[in-house]
Formats: sequence, structure tokens, C-alpha cells
Amino acid sequence: MFRLMLKMAWKNSFARPARTVLLIIMIAVSMSMMLGIQGLYDGMALNIADKNKRSDSGDVSIFAQEYRINKDIKFRIKNALEIKKELQAMNGVKAVALRINADGLASTARKSSFAQIRGIDLAEEELFGKFSAFLKEGEIRLDKKSAIIGIELAKTLKVGIGSKVIFSTQDTRGEINSVALKISAVIQTTNIILDSSTVFVDLKKLRTFLGLKKEEATQISVMCEDQAVIEDLKIKYQALDVKSFFELQPMMQMMEEMMLIFNSITFFIVMSVVFVGIFGVMYVSVLDRIREFGIMLGIGMQYRYIRMQIFLEAIFIGAIGYIGGALIGLFLLMYLREYGLDFSSFADALEMWGYEAVIYGTIKVSYFTTTFLAIISASVLSVLIPLRKIKKLNPIEVIKADK
Amino acid sequence: MFSFALKNILFYKGRSLTTFVLTFVSTLLFVVYVSMMDGSHKSMLQNAIKIYTGAIEIYHKDYRDIGGNEYLIQDTSAILKKISQIEGVEAYTSRYETFGLLSSKNNSAASMVAGIEPEKEKSLSSISEALTEGEFLTEKSGNCIYMGVELVKKLKVKLADEVAFIGAASDNSFAADIFRVCGIFKTGSFEFDLSTSFLSRDYFDTLMLSKNKASYITIKVDDLEHVEAVNEKIARVLDDNLESLTWKTLMKTMVEAMEVDSIFGYISLALFLVVIFFVIMIYGFINVSSRIKEFGVLRCVGISNSNIFSLLFYEIFILSTLAIAVAAPIGGYICYYYSINPIVIEGIAEMYKDYGIISDEIPFDFSVFTLAWNILLIYVLNFLSILYPYFYINSFRPIEASRHV
Repeated sequence: MFRLMLKMAWKNSFARPARTVLLIIMIAVSMSMMLGIQGLYDGMALNIADKNKRSDSGDVSIFAQEYRINKDIKFRIKNALEIKKELQAMNGVKAVALRINADGLASTARKSSFAQIRGIDLAEEELFGKFSAFLKEGEIRLDKKSAIIGIELAKTLKVGIGSKVIFSTQDTRGEINSVALKISAVIQTTNIILDSSTVFVDLKKLRTFLGLKKEEATQISVMCEDQAVIEDLKIKYQALDVKSFFELQPMMQMMEEMMLIFNSITFFIVMSVVFVGIFGVMYVSVLDRIREFGIMLGIGMQYRYIRMQIFLEAIFIGAIGYIGGALIGLFLLMYLREYGLDFSSFADALEMWGYEAVIYGTIKVSYFTTTFLAIISASVLSVLIPLRKIKKLNPIEVIKADK
Repeated sequence: MFSFALKNILFYKGRSLTTFVLTFVSTLLFVVYVSMMDGSHKSMLQNAIKIYTGAIEIYHKDYRDIGGNEYLIQDTSAILKKISQIEGVEAYTSRYETFGLLSSKNNSAASMVAGIEPEKEKSLSSISEALTEGEFLTEKSGNCIYMGVELVKKLKVKLADEVAFIGAASDNSFAADIFRVCGIFKTGSFEFDLSTSFLSRDYFDTLMLSKNKASYITIKVDDLEHVEAVNEKIARVLDDNLESLTWKTLMKTMVEAMEVDSIFGYISLALFLVVIFFVIMIYGFINVSSRIKEFGVLRCVGISNSNIFSLLFYEIFILSTLAIAVAAPIGGYICYYYSINPIVIEGIAEMYKDYGIISDEIPFDFSVFTLAWNILLIYVLNFLSILYPYFYINSFRPIEASRHV
């Protein structure tokens, strides 16, 4: 009986092909568009969060107490080297990076801007967050007087590869010191502070320049394999300021939450409208065949078989629409993940806000599973009212009625 | 055909109600969404202009691209005299800006130090209104420095404290002096408050040897809508080595950023509109496909194809107009209300301070033009939705249609 119902449902689904095809197109187009938008927005947020982690805070960063408030090298971690070794020996820790940051003035012969100098160990940063992937121009190296500069700061100072920059800041003794640097690379991390105001130099050289001891640093960033490590670190280093990525970047958390809310609202509205569409078609489809259902009931077919047939019809249409939408959506998402959306003509604006000129999408299995559930649910729910109408039918009257 | 359409609307209540509701929802959503998007963009730009950037600024060519003291404006007073005679210019002043290191007893910070004409500045920017402690500058303030609140925190100074300045004068010679903190301001722009300080030009020009020189001249216009026209007049009186730029060029990146944001906004809106368009079309199609026999009979008795089209057109026109007539005033009122009483989201400015957001307020934009094109687009989409049903009816020959079951 089930096979018969299946066969009848399939044939009836396409009894009015134009109407059914129109409905399938609606489901497919709206679903693929929704998938594309979700993937693109999630991709934007994930890309920024990932690069912010890799270029700066990692999953967790450790500072001396008061450093983050005062941004003063006076508040530095005195035993950073020792902590680094402890961290490297911990289970669940993937990579550790020591950094020294100091605020000051970056100047060329013609332009000046307030800036931050950051001492890094390139090998360590490569391991920590694949630093070389941030390269926009030049060559990643920090030998002799070389420095790497953030893309926005390079624009402000109007400097390029080979340009000279003087960086002036206060050392640990309170003296104003200057160092001449030669730009070897321009990078873009999508971290606004790094891109708009940071000059990267070799960690050891900056230590000497600022008068810091070799075991000292202002920031220790940790990349974790296991997020439970974050809580362990907070307990272990209570004398220090241990902050997770989202604590350091509340904006990122807010951005992710806003994306989730936005995507949920979009999903709800689109699915509601899709429901209205399916409902309209199914309702008319049932009304068109009311006599047919009356005859079926009249010759003794049980109502539950008719109900099954109508449910199957709705599920067939919903499922075909879903498959179409999933295929188009997958293709769209793959394109966005591979090639992205090119906004090169707005590059300056996007870079100012920490975005790249090409915005890439992402693909999550949840896009397809939640949409599948929503479309099938919308399809099933849409036939409840037509089914009630059939249930209330008086077969004799319906058969007698003139079409 | 019009009365025929009206009768059909009343007869096919289900379809009419669905079309009405969907058109109402899409109009309301479209109008309110665009208003919120435009309003927040305009607010960000206006805030940025209000703080410090002028509606028009005059530079020596290459000052912005290359920079350096050789590209300072010379003989500023002569240029200001020419500007004063231009209609549409409300206020103007010259500024001399330089970067230097400011140091307190224990701390140092880089800062943009600007020499300004305090009285004129009051009518050009909001820096005097941003005063939180002490007093704003006067022409005779001497070595008084007016500093951003974040810079004050960074240097750990308070009113009446001294800060040392080291920089380069306009002739590239070394310049150093001791300033006294007389006023502290807070504009809300984190970066501006962290990096900017002001002195009266009278005093600063002596230190920097910048008398009658300027980094640029900033101008306020009577009406921002006419900024391009005023800019053209200014450009005509300037020497070839000078350029006059409006805020649209000065804040090009910000304007572009708003455009990108709008693109994403319209992409999201397009999704809703496309889905709604399809549903309206489906309901229209269902309606039409159940009336094939009726259309067949009409054509058999001599009603032309264009009349059939008119019938469908009137039906959708009446339904759209009714829905828009309800949605537009409601949407318009929401936009108008929130343009005067902006939505406030506590903490949003703090959260997005790195992005230049300086206010927790999200104002809407109320513009009759925007409202009109939003409504027009909804009309166009609804009209487009009858095309497929119309072609579907026409695919039947009159006799065939009249026998259709």
C-alpha cells in the first residue's frame, strides 16, 4: 500500500507541472540565496576572528597586571621565558609566542604618525599563526634594521618596500630613544590595531633598544588545541592578567552573536514566506482534487492513506526544491570559498575596517541540515489545513457535486 | 477592466489577502531597513565631519600624497581673504598640524599637535564643545595645550601639569617647548582623543615658525547640500598649486566603507524581496490557472490580449496600492520617529571604538525620495510577478482555454 501511495503522490505532485516547477524554483532560489548569504557573512566573521587570533592574541594571552590599561612597558612580565617553557610543556598547548610592544612615533622625512613597535620572533610567529601568510608586499625578514609594517600605517606614512622609518619611544629608563628602520615587508592581518599602527621588528633587537632583559616580555600568546587550557592558565597564573580571545576582543564575540541573530532572523522570515508559498500550492492542489478524494473515501479507502499521500506529495516537492537549492547553494558557497567576492575597488575602505578586499565565504554542514529540516517541516505543516478540509468531507456530497 | 479587476479581487479573497499581506510586509521591511541603513551611515559621516574634518579643505597639491613642510600653504591670509568673498561660505580658518612627541614626567606619547584659531574654530568644529575639564583655548592662551582625554590618560597628566614637546618646525629645524595642560576634551572618537592636542596659533606659530603658513584651510558651508557648487567657486579663485577638496574626497574611504555596507544590506534585502516576489507570482499564477476557462471565454467574446493584460495589471495594481497605502505611512512614520528619536544601544560605541563609532545612537533617515523609490521598486516587482501568469494564459488558444477543466 505504501508503494502505491508513493507512486500516486509522485504522479500527483506533477499533475500541474507549471505550478509545481514554479514552487520548486522558489524553494531552490530562496534556499540557495540564503545559504550564500549565510556562508558569506559567517566567512567574514570567521576570517577576521581567525586572523586576529593568529596575528595577535591566540586563544589566550598573558600580560602583566595593569599592562592592558596603561600600555606601558613598565608593566611587563619579568619571567616570560620561564612561563613560555612551562606553557610549551603543557598538554593542550599548540604554540606560544613572546612579544614586546611599545607605543611611540613613527616618522619619515615627510610624514609622522603615532604607532606601536612590536618585537617578534619570526620563526615563533610562523609556528604560532603562519605569519608569512599575512604578507602583502616585499619579503618577510627581520634582519639588521629590517622592519615589517601594517598596511594602513604604510599608507599613512606613504612608505613602501625599502623606505626608511624612524621610530621614537621611551625606553625602560624613561629616555626618549629613536631607531632607524628599513621596511622589508607590508602585511595585512585584518587586525585593525596591527594594520593601522604597528611596526614589527626583531624581538631581541627591540629588547636591547628598550633596555629589557632577555627573559622579559609584555605579552605571551598561546594557541591551544584544547580550550580547557584557558581556564587552567587563569588558575595557574593568577598573579598575571590572563585573558581569552573573546575577553580581549569582545567585539569579535559581539560580531559572531550578531551574525547568529541576523542569520536566524533571515532564516525564520525566509522559511515563513516559503511556507506561505508551499501552503498556497498544496491548498489549491487539494481543492482541485476534492472530488477525487471524495471518490477514494467513498470506495472505502481509509483517510490515513489519503493523508499519507498528501504528506508525501508535500515532502516530494519540498525535497526536490531542497535538492535543487542545496546544489545551487553548494556551488555558490564553493565559489565564494574558493574565489570570494571581489571588492577590490573598495579595498581602501575595507582595509580601514579590517577586512580584505576579497571576502571569502565558508561552508558549514549545519546550513544544509537546518535548511533541510526547515523545508521539510514547512512542507508538512503546509498541508495540515488542506487535510482538515478532507477529513471533514462528506464523500457522497462531494461525488454528487459538479466540478 | 478596472471594475472587472475589482470584482475579481473581492471574489478571490485568499489570493488577494496573501498578496496584500506580502506586499505590506515587503514594503514595510524595505522602507524601514533602508532608512536605518542610510541613517546610521549619514550619522557616522556627519559625526566625523562635525568633530574636525571640514566640509571643504584647501591643500597645497601633493601635501596629502607626499607631505612635508615644502608643501605647506604659504601666504594664508591672502587666500583667506579670497575665500571670505565667496557666497555659500559660512566660516573658515587655517590650521597648522605637526606630529611630535609629548612627554610627562614618566610617560611619552606621539601626538598630532595642531595650531588653531580658537575663536574661529568654535564655529567650524565641535572640539570646543567637547571640553570636559578646564577651559578651551583663546587667542591669548600662550603655551596652554588642549588635549584629548585618552592622551591625558596615557601621559598620566592632569590640568595645570606640564608636558614637554619635541618635534620639527616648519623650516625642518628642531622644535621643543614646555606646554601646560589647560583643557581636556572628549569627542568620543577613541583614536582622535588618543592622538590629538591643540594650541592657539598665536603661540604655536612662533615656536614652529609657521606665521602665515598653514597645513590646510578648512571651510564650513551654509548648506552641505551645495558643497560641490561652493567648492567649484573656491577652486576658481585658487592658484594652480592649491587644491580644494570636499568632504566626499577627504573621507573617501569612509564613504566607500558605507557603500560596501549598503551593498551587503541590499544583498540581504534582495533575498527577502526575491522570496516574496516568487510567492506573489505563485499566488497570481494559481489564481490565473484556475481561471483559464474564464479567460478563454473572455477572449472568445472578443476581449483582446492587451485587455487581459490590463485586467491582470489592474488586479495587481489595486492590491499593491492598497498594501502600499497602508505600509508606506506606517513605515514613513517609523522612519520619521526614529530619525528624531534614534534607537540607543548602550555600549555599542565603546565596543566599536576602533571602527570610528562615536555614538550609541542609531538614527534612521527620513527622506521622501528614498521612500518614493522604495515604493516604486515594490510596485515594479509586483508588476513583474504577473508576467509569467500572463504568458501562461496566452499559451492557450481561446477555444482550447474555454474548454479547459
